[in-house]
Amino acid sequence: MPGFDALRRDVYNSRGFMGWGEGERGMAFSNDRTGWATRFGLVMAMAGNAVGLGNFLRFPGKAAPYGGAFMVPYFLALVLLGIPLMWMEWTIGRHGGTFGHGSTPGMFHRLWNRPISKYLGIFGILLPAMVGIYYIYIESWSLGYAWQTLVGSYWGKGTQEEMSQVFVNYLGMGAGEGSQVSFSAQSYLFFLVAFVLNIVIMSLAISKGIEVVAKYCMPLLLLLGMVLAIRVLTLPPMEVTQVVDGVATTRTFSITDGLAQIWRVDDWSVLKEPAIWLTATGQIFFTLSVGLGMVHSYASYLRKQHDLTLSGLTACAANEFVEVILGGTIVIPAAVVFFGVAGMQQTVEKGIFAIGFQALPVIFQQMPGGRVFGTMWFVLLFLAGLTSSMAMFTPLLLFLEDELRVPRRKAAAMIGVAVFLMMQPVILFMHRGVVDELDYWMGDFGLVLFGAIEAVVFAWIFGMKRGWREMHVGAELRVPRIFYYVMKYITPVYAVALVAWYVRSGLWDKIAMKGVAPENVPYLWLARGMILSVAAFLLWGIWHAWRTHPRLFEKTETEAASQ
Amino acid sequence: MTLFSWIYMAIAWSLIIAVNVFCFVRSFGNKRPPSGHDV
Repeated sequence: MPGFDALRRDVYNSRGFMGWGEGERGMAFSNDRTGWATRFGLVMAMAGNAVGLGNFLRFPGKAAPYGGAFMVPYFLALVLLGIPLMWMEWTIGRHGGTFGHGSTPGMFHRLWNRPISKYLGIFGILLPAMVGIYYIYIESWSLGYAWQTLVGSYWGKGTQEEMSQVFVNYLGMGAGEGSQVSFSAQSYLFFLVAFVLNIVIMSLAISKGIEVVAKYCMPLLLLLGMVLAIRVLTLPPMEVTQVVDGVATTRTFSITDGLAQIWRVDDWSVLKEPAIWLTATGQIFFTLSVGLGMVHSYASYLRKQHDLTLSGLTACAANEFVEVILGGTIVIPAAVVFFGVAGMQQTVEKGIFAIGFQALPVIFQQMPGGRVFGTMWFVLLFLAGLTSSMAMFTPLLLFLEDELRVPRRKAAAMIGVAVFLMMQPVILFMHRGVVDELDYWMGDFGLVLFGAIEAVVFAWIFGMKRGWREMHVGAELRVPRIFYYVMKYITPVYAVALVAWYVRSGLWDKIAMKGVAPENVPYLWLARGMILSVAAFLLWGIWHAWRTHPRLFEKTETEAASQ
Repeated sequence: MTLFSWIYMAIAWSLIIAVNVFCFVRSFGNKRPPSGHDV
C-alpha cells in the first residue's frame, strides 16, 4: 500500500489538468454532466444537506429531556458512527462516480460485484425520495409562517393554546374530528411554492442549481442563526408563573436556566437507559443525513483526485456548529426564559413542531423587535429545510439519468409529476398519520438499516484496506489510523446493533399497527403502498438497466487488477 | 448552571469551534498546497 505522501504527491501532480469544474464528471465512464464548480460550493452543499430542520427543532427536543447527559452518547455516536459513515459515503460516492454511477445501486455494484449488491443500493434512492415527499411539505410551513410573521397575521394570539389553534387552522385540520381531509388554501399555496422551487433547483446542473443555492443560502443561514442565538443569549431574566402538579409558583428565569437544560447533568445514571443511546444515535444519523443516499450522489460529482477526508470533516463540523451551538442556544433557552422550566418541558412533550410553530411565535410576540426576529427564525428554518430537501430527489434523478438513460430535464419532469401526486395523500391525510408512517419507515428505521448495510459492505466486503486507500486518494487530511479500526470494527457493529435494537424494541408492533385507531389503518396502508410502489419501480429499473446496458456495469481492467 | 455545566459546555463549544476553524482554514486558507481547487 503506497504511503499517504506518495498518494498526495501523485494527486497534486495530476491536478494541473484535473481541477474543479473543468469538464466531465467521472473518469472511466464520464458523461455529459459537469461537476462541482468550486470546493466552497461542494462543502456548503454537503453541509446544507446535513443542516436541516432537525438541527433547530429535533436536536433541542431530544436533548432537553435528558439534560447534559445526552451529549455523552451524542458525541460518542458522532465520532464512532457519524463521521466514519460520512467518510464511507463520500468514498463510496466518489468511487461510484468515477464509473459514471450517481446513485447507490451502481455504486454498490462497483464495491461488491455480486447480483444482490445493486438491489441493496435501492435504499439509497428510496429513502431520500420518500422522506422528501413529506419533508418539502413541512419545509413549506416555515415559508408560510415566515410570511405570516412578517405581515403579523397571528399577532395578538399570545398564548400557546391560541397559537396551537392557529397551527391547526394553517394545516386545515381544524374542521373537527370527523374531517375527511386536512386542507387549507394558504398552506397549499406555500407548499406549491416550495415544491416548484425544489424541482427547479434539482433539474438544473449541479453547479448551476444546488451549488449556487447552497453557496448563498448557507452563509445566510449561519448569519441568521448567529443573530438569533445572540438575541436569545442577551434576553433579560423574566418572572414566570408556572404550574407544576396543580400548584402555581412564580420565579425568575434567566438565560443560564435555559442553557442548563441542555448542559447541566443532574443524574448520570440516565446513561444506563438504552433509550438515551438510541435517541442520541438516531439524532446523529438524522442530523448528518447519513444512511440516506444523498451524500453518495453529491460525492459522485467529485473527481478521483478530489479530497474527501477534509471536505467531509468540514461538512460534519459545520453541521455540529449549527446544531449544538446555534440549535442548542435558540429554542430551549428562549422557551425557559419565557415559560419556565416546567412550561418548556410541557411544550417539548407536545413534539418538535409545538416548539417551533407554537411556542416560539408566542415568544416573538413578547420580544422587542419580535416580528423581525420571528421572520428571521422562520426564514432560517426554511433555508435549513431547502438546503436539505433539494438533495432528496437527486439520487432518483441520477438513477434515471445514469442507469436508465433518461435525459435530465425529462427525468426531472417525471419526478416532479410523480412526487406531486404522492404528496397529495401526505397533505390531505396528514391528520390520519400518513406522515408519521412514512417517517418511521423511511426517515427513522430505514436510514439506520441502510447505514448498517453500507458500513458492512464498505468495511467487510469491499474491504477496509481498499476502502482506506480509496478514501485517502487525493486526501488533504490524513485521517488518524485509529479510525481505520473504528471503521472496520466499531462502526459496522454499532450500526448492526442499532438495527437489532430497533427490531427488538417495537418493530413488530409497528408492522402490525398495534395501537393504531381502526379508522386510520387504511391510510397507513396507503403510505405503505406508496413506499412499496416506488420500491417496485426501482427494483424493475435496476433489473432493466443491468439487462439493457450491461456494458455500463462491466468490470474495468483497473478494477479487475485491484481485486 | 453549575460550574461543571459551564466547563462542560465551554469544552464542547471550544472543540466544535476549533475543529471548524481547523477545517475551514485548511480547506480555504492560504497555507494549503497549490491544489487548483477553485476555478
